[in-house]
Amino acid sequence: MNLLRLFSRTPTAPSARERLQVLLAHERVAFGDSDLVSKLRDEILAVIARHVQIDGDKVTVKMERGAQMSTLAVDIEIPFDATKKKLDAAKNKKAA
Amino acid sequence: MGKVIVVTSGKGGVGKTTSSAALGAALAQNGDKVVVVDFDVGLRNLDLVMGAERRVVYDLVNVIQGEAKLTQALIRDKRVETLYLLPASQTRDKDNLTPEGVETVINTLKKAFDWVICDSPAGIERGATLAMRHADVAIVVTNPEVSSVRDSDRIIGLLDSKTLKAENGERMEKHLLLTRYDPARAERGDMLKVDDVLEILSIPLLGIIPESMDVLRASNLGAPVTLADGKCAPAVAYFNAARRLAGEELPVAVPGEKRSFFGKIFGRKAA
Amino acid sequence: MTAVLTQPRPIRLKGRSFLALALTPELPFEDWLIRLDDLAGRSAGFFLRRPVVLDVDGLDIDRAELRGLVEQLGRRNVRIMGIEGARPSLMGADLPPAMTDGRAASDFEAPDAAQASQPELPPPAIQAEPQALRAAPSLVITDPVRSGQSILFPEGDVTVVGSVASGAEIVAGGSIHVYGTLRGRAMAGTTGAASARIFCRKLEAELIAIDGFYRTAEDLDPDLWGRAVQIWLEGEAIKAGILG
Repeated sequence: MNLLRLFSRTPTAPSARERLQVLLAHERVAFGDSDLVSKLRDEILAVIARHVQIDGDKVTVKMERGAQMSTLAVDIEIPFDATKKKLDAAKNKKAA
Repeated sequence: MGKVIVVTSGKGGVGKTTSSAALGAALAQNGDKVVVVDFDVGLRNLDLVMGAERRVVYDLVNVIQGEAKLTQALIRDKRVETLYLLPASQTRDKDNLTPEGVETVINTLKKAFDWVICDSPAGIERGATLAMRHADVAIVVTNPEVSSVRDSDRIIGLLDSKTLKAENGERMEKHLLLTRYDPARAERGDMLKVDDVLEILSIPLLGIIPESMDVLRASNLGAPVTLADGKCAPAVAYFNAARRLAGEELPVAVPGEKRSFFGKIFGRKAA
Repeated sequence: MTAVLTQPRPIRLKGRSFLALALTPELPFEDWLIRLDDLAGRSAGFFLRRPVVLDVDGLDIDRAELRGLVEQLGRRNVRIMGIEGARPSLMGADLPPAMTDGRAASDFEAPDAAQASQPELPPPAIQAEPQALRAAPSLVITDPVRSGQSILFPEGDVTVVGSVASGAEIVAGGSIHVYGTLRGRAMAGTTGAASARIFCRKLEAELIAIDGFYRTAEDLDPDLWGRAVQIWLEGEAIKAGILG
């Protein structure tokens, strides 16, 4: 084994601890069925689907869970003629 | 059409998830398009080992239940852009995996990726049999230790009977990946020898991964070991295993020894 | 005086197959039971003292329904000795045991209306199935026998071209030949063939048995371990010798 590599290493355990803390904090909340981010995700999509017909394939949802805050990015492609189909969309809310 | 690989073992804790992540990353680092699918519903860990645990929105069960599109559930690796992860659900029960749902997902992935790597849960129950069901090739992860070898033998029996290939009367291609191999213990004679394991299981050898702190460090950091430190011994062993998987004929070096194995020699006798 | 076993005599474990009547109920069970009652009515005692196996293969029922059917049959004096073709989830400790690998035999003659008036015949004795007559005498397995697999071949010899893993078992009516390492269990002559033998290229067996007499790994002569060995029965003693 290369000694230089051995000495130049930084300990990895702190990183492991930090990652686990963030993850477990989120999971413990989620198990109480009150995962805020998931709820927001579903409700945001539901609200938009009420006004615009959403193509399920053109929706990307990205999440980044952090220790202090989480970010949720919902990227929805709204087709040019989407508003014309507003009436249909009202009946077809399952896109979320 | 991509190849579907199941990484399985029967016994838990032998290194299935580590190996799925490392082989998946190694194949992707060579430019192939790879997706690693976590089948361990209820106890997902692949996302942690691949460092994507904070980015999971949807999972395999959501896709199977029609709550999300496959493309929405796939998480692209931040380091290698041809590497994707399909996480398992942490909150649902494994009964949510239906055979039809799994089939649809695998068939769709096969069309879009060069490699579909299915990380099987431990055991021989539903999750494990569903993970292996659609595989073209199986990687049996084994530690040089009696209980692991016996469980692997049991899994090989299932691969030869419970998979679509077996039911169609075809032969499932199987490879042995020997993990957590400790040269010091081998030297002392306190570990099953490579030859013994090969003789007992009689399937060709894909690689020998040495027991190493580097593997632990990589999982602490949330990176497959081939990405965390591509030069360390286990990473090199995984890179070589990935090349053999892709069809190259490379001798398998035994850690701490001068000799090597030619997988194909054992391949002839393989079941 | 308390009996002291100075010479421990092994318990003999033997397999034997018998002919049983297989009933295949159909859904809905109420209708099927009416037809069964009709059949039984034509010949009282048709099912009496006959071993009956219930074949539920392909029936979409739950455990409660299965239990109910067994009870219904019990009330009609049809005693079920085993259940064939049931999913493991259907079975329970309060139900008869699962039976597998049944082979069809000639149909039982169902009594017709004409017979109903005839005097009752004594119930037929259970007959051992004459297997050797119609069965293949030997089974050849070209793959290794893996842990957890069980090869049952009461009809005759079993030859394995490969190894038998720890946790696997071969049960043969005749002799067992293993052209590899025997690490699991080998039981030869299970249908009473005391002349059956076990041959293997490398003996590392967990258990070997001939005609119900057995030896575990601990009882085997350590000199035989790892060698090419044949094992046979002399009287009630298991003998073993190195081959070649």
